[in-house]
Amino acid sequence: MSPAPDVRLTMPARAEGVAVVRQALAGMADALAVDAALLADMKMAVSEACTNVVVHAYEDADGVLEVEMSADDIGLTIRVRDHGRGIQPHVKQAREVPALGLGLPLIAALSDTFEVQGGAGHGTEVRMTFTYMREADPADANPVTGTVGDDGHWDSDATRGTPAG
Amino acid sequence: MDANPIVLDDDAGDVVVVVVEGEHDIYTAPTLRDRLDEAIGRGGGIVVDLTGATFVDSSVLGALLDARRRALEADQRFVVCVGDSVEPGVQRILDITGLVPVLPVVSGRDAAINAARVNPNGAGG
Repeated sequence: MSPAPDVRLTMPARAEGVAVVRQALAGMADALAVDAALLADMKMAVSEACTNVVVHAYEDADGVLEVEMSADDIGLTIRVRDHGRGIQPHVKQAREVPALGLGLPLIAALSDTFEVQGGAGHGTEVRMTFTYMREADPADANPVTGTVGDDGHWDSDATRGTPAG
Repeated sequence: MDANPIVLDDDAGDVVVVVVEGEHDIYTAPTLRDRLDEAIGRGGGIVVDLTGATFVDSSVLGALLDARRRALEADQRFVVCVGDSVEPGVQRILDITGLVPVLPVVSGRDAAINAARVNPNGAGG
């Protein structure tokens, strides 16, 4: 049985809430004496997970963003949860969506372990763990591949290089 | 006072500098897009100065890449700059996305302004 979370936030899934989550994380990391580079990775990964909820979970309806942070001797586990329409990563939007499509690749590169649970209509939970004493940079094991495509979205299969212009 | 300001600086004349300070994410990205539109609308080179930025996420990168594409389509140069020491919340995402040569990102505002000029050796452009 997992221990009770040290921090639990429940808030409307709106853009202004993402900074609040980062503030709570920074406070918790301060209490744990987490170093600046690891905190930066945590803040980035959590922001991307929360942004996914804000942008994708509820379409135009109101909904809830839930974040749980729990610490143990080894590291910090963070869960970001919604009760929205579930994972539908390849749905094309009719209107322009200001999203690069980099969220999940960034979370994978910045966290030590990363797991997504859920399904269509059942909401989504992103669970990330961050180890205090890293033996290796997770971005080496799970690098962000590709670069931005001509359509403005991230293309994971594209070859990196200096573009013309 | 806005703790996370985005302001235009046109002291360089033919190049507009979009100065981004503090933390920026999905909430402030629409404001950044508005400021970038304004900068592109002035018709000269565009520099985005992230020296005072402490955190940027993929929403910000999306706004920068979109502005870069539109600037290049309009034959305007687009350059991002950082300071001598870069916050981990900015450096890390630039490093792992490989966007430093794409945007491109250079060190120092003066170098960026020079690179954003159509004629780098002259004051006009």
